[in-house]
Amino acid sequence: MIARTLTLNKPRQRGAARPALRFEGVTHRYGARVAVEELSFEVANGETVALLGPNGAGKSTTISLLLGLLRPFRGVVEVLGTAPRKAVAQGRVGAMLQTGSGSGLPPGVRVRATLELARRLYPRPAPFDVTVERAGIGALLDRQTHRLSGGQVQSVRFALAIAGDPELVFLDEPTAAMDVAGRRSFWHMIRQFGREGRTVLFATHHLHEADQIADRVVVVNHGRVVADGPGAMLKAAVAARQVRFVCDHPNRQVFDALEGVTDVEVHGKGVTLSSLDADATVKALVGRRVAFSDLEVTGAGLEDAFVALTEDNGDAMHRSA
Amino acid sequence: MITPLLAFGRFEVGRLVRSWRFLVITVGFPVSFYMLFLGNQSAGGIVDGTVPWRVYLMVTMCSFGSLVAGLTAGGARLSAERASGWARQLRVTPIPAWSYVVTKVSASMLVILPVIALVDAVGAAFGGVDLSIGSWLGLTVLLWATSLPFALLGVLIGFLVNAETAFPVVTALMFVLGYFGGLFNPLASMPGALQLVARTLPSFNNAALGLAFLDGRGPGLEHWFVLVMYVVVLALAIMLKHRAEESRGLA
Repeated sequence: MIARTLTLNKPRQRGAARPALRFEGVTHRYGARVAVEELSFEVANGETVALLGPNGAGKSTTISLLLGLLRPFRGVVEVLGTAPRKAVAQGRVGAMLQTGSGSGLPPGVRVRATLELARRLYPRPAPFDVTVERAGIGALLDRQTHRLSGGQVQSVRFALAIAGDPELVFLDEPTAAMDVAGRRSFWHMIRQFGREGRTVLFATHHLHEADQIADRVVVVNHGRVVADGPGAMLKAAVAARQVRFVCDHPNRQVFDALEGVTDVEVHGKGVTLSSLDADATVKALVGRRVAFSDLEVTGAGLEDAFVALTEDNGDAMHRSA
Repeated sequence: MITPLLAFGRFEVGRLVRSWRFLVITVGFPVSFYMLFLGNQSAGGIVDGTVPWRVYLMVTMCSFGSLVAGLTAGGARLSAERASGWARQLRVTPIPAWSYVVTKVSASMLVILPVIALVDAVGAAFGGVDLSIGSWLGLTVLLWATSLPFALLGVLIGFLVNAETAFPVVTALMFVLGYFGGLFNPLASMPGALQLVARTLPSFNNAALGLAFLDGRGPGLEHWFVLVMYVVVLALAIMLKHRAEESRGLA
């Protein structure tokens, strides 16, 4: 295993300052419908970044533009310091695209033959066994491609995407057809791949996935970047925790002054505090000797952050990483 | 560049010859039709020009075999594969966009050759056809090279219609081009108007070139002309369709 790992091609260093990909003021339309508008963001080498947004936010268009499958109407798309098509032709990029109802695999052939072909299409493929190991498809090699479950199909497609030992991988909603267990092992695999120094950009509308897997989350909606930062920062941006309790004599002013509190709601005896630092807020509550009961702290999670970011005043929330 | 394309071509041919459906259709149709017609024909006689009917039948069945193989290699298989997203996956590998179409057509051409050889073999074994080595080789190579329109037609159908539609379309084309191309009946036995139609079809012209070669009637320029026109038009149609899909980010 160790010997095998040593044989891997190390992703070429391209100077730390150069981003793995760059989107600058990119606009793309389908007819009159704007899919991506003035979209700008960068991904550094080795980063794992989630492109998070609801359906129709422009995620797939963004990935198609990054692969050179589409050309931008306006703006600059740069991948590994060059044009997208060139980076693809050089075999430095791998991708798992969305396939709708199809499997994305050629029918009537075994997994082994498909992976062998995929390797031969690249100038510097990873060793066969390494790719099999990375994608965890050892048990599937002799199966026909049309006899795989949804999760197995995605694992095989991931193997095809990384067969060329790419520096950069794009994954468009890769877990769409998978069950919970399948998802977990799939993301574990992606994490491992990212840890090997590869750059990973994945599109998802699963907030949990973005939060758990990515170093950074770029939230897009209506073709624009609404927020950009670590998952934790996004949560903070919309007050990630809610502190609820019952209080006989609620006093707004007191609550408002508590550490971490960004918002206070009082309905009769029920109090809900939005807090950037729930621990500090609860400590302060105790310190102030507020008489409360039924204390409950809930994480707003990325879900609330996401809703808040995409529903309204999105631009006001815009942060730079 | 060459190595990936060869690997892709080998993969495609491998998939074709491992498909039971493909084998049953491309081997079964021409061979069973050939045997059927052999049983029906009254022995002796000359059908067209100076070629004995036994040879005539074998040449037309070779053409029918190429037609069936070309249409089936593309057709529904290709539509299904494109619908699966595999074609799109190939677009994000280093091989150039044109290589998909070129490989598909080449793979079709490669599987047409053994079908022609098989019909040759049936002709030698059961069809009472006895030719010199040179005639066998010349005929086979000529029929094979000029079967390119069938390969292109199969690929074009795969690009134009979905898998469910492609199957009946391919089946219909096999019999329409076979029948009206004079592959099932000698052209001379058809009404005048239909003979005119036949002369415009690639199936007729493919077989006619083979017959012209055997009876030494000359190069058959008019047949070449029709076949080249088909190649140009079909190739252009495939290119345009492929381009259009590419620019929409679909292919």
